[in-house]
Amino acid sequence: MKPEDSKILQQLGKEPGFKVPENFFADINEKIKESLPEVEITRTDVRPSLWVRIRPYVYMAAMFAGVWCMMKVFNGLTETNKQTLTAKEIAAGMNVESNVEEFILNNSVSDMDIIMSYEDSLYYDNLIIDSENNNEELL
Amino acid sequence: MAGKYTYDEEQIVEQLHNPATAREAFGKVIEHYSQTIYWQIRRMVFDHDDASDIMQNTFIKAWTNIDNFRGDAKLSTWLHKIAINESITFINKKKALNNIPIDSDDSFLAKTLESDPWFDGDETQLKLQQAIASLPEKQRLVFNMRYYDEMKYEDMSEILGTSVGALKASYHHAIKKIESFFTDND
Repeated sequence: MKPEDSKILQQLGKEPGFKVPENFFADINEKIKESLPEVEITRTDVRPSLWVRIRPYVYMAAMFAGVWCMMKVFNGLTETNKQTLTAKEIAAGMNVESNVEEFILNNSVSDMDIIMSYEDSLYYDNLIIDSENNNEELL
Repeated sequence: MAGKYTYDEEQIVEQLHNPATAREAFGKVIEHYSQTIYWQIRRMVFDHDDASDIMQNTFIKAWTNIDNFRGDAKLSTWLHKIAINESITFINKKKALNNIPIDSDDSFLAKTLESDPWFDGDETQLKLQQAIASLPEKQRLVFNMRYYDEMKYEDMSEILGTSVGALKASYHHAIKKIESFFTDND
């Protein structure tokens, strides 16, 4: 019994209550065979039409093509998302001022990063000045 | 069902189109499908003698049109289609004879079941047959094919030329109507 069947039908069962006379099918089969009229058979091309024969292969090819397309689309999306850049490319990108500004504008660099980098630059500037003074003193 | 014959459909279809072997091959088709076709018709028309006559007409019609069978569909699908057409034609003729409108349901067919010598069902089985008879023709066909023959929806779709979704809906409606019939006639 299928789950789609109702409770009433589950209680009833599948026996319809019909019966046939004894040997009915054996007798009727013989009777029908005997009553078959003479017919002229002209069509001998019993092979199914070309479309019927190739239909399973066409369906299979379409399925594989569909899977291939889906994989292509999926791979394309993941590659776009990856956006892997080499160190050289990052360095080159950072040299272009507009890129750096855009990077900051996109909130990729926090305010603290900017303050820290400013302080670092001051520190390195002082180091350079100190080393220049030392050089002058040595001379 | 195959009886004393071995049945290979592909081979049978080839033999059916060879004048020398066609008659014998069609004999095998009758042996193989007579029970399935008979029960399909019997559940539509209820009366044994009517079902027997319609089955004979079905096989004779199939035989006389054997030249038109190309083998694109299964033989069983083709035979079921002919059997359904023959059954519906018979029911419509009977409706006309009894002055019953052609668009009314087929409940009148089940009225003689009680006195039918070839029906030995109990009260509940009789009630179920009356409930089935009250369904619209297409729902009745779908219900019988699914419930009694446990036919796949895909096969039913080929025979009835209706989508699988529509057949599922039809079967669902048929069950609901049968349940209502039992509730209303308790």
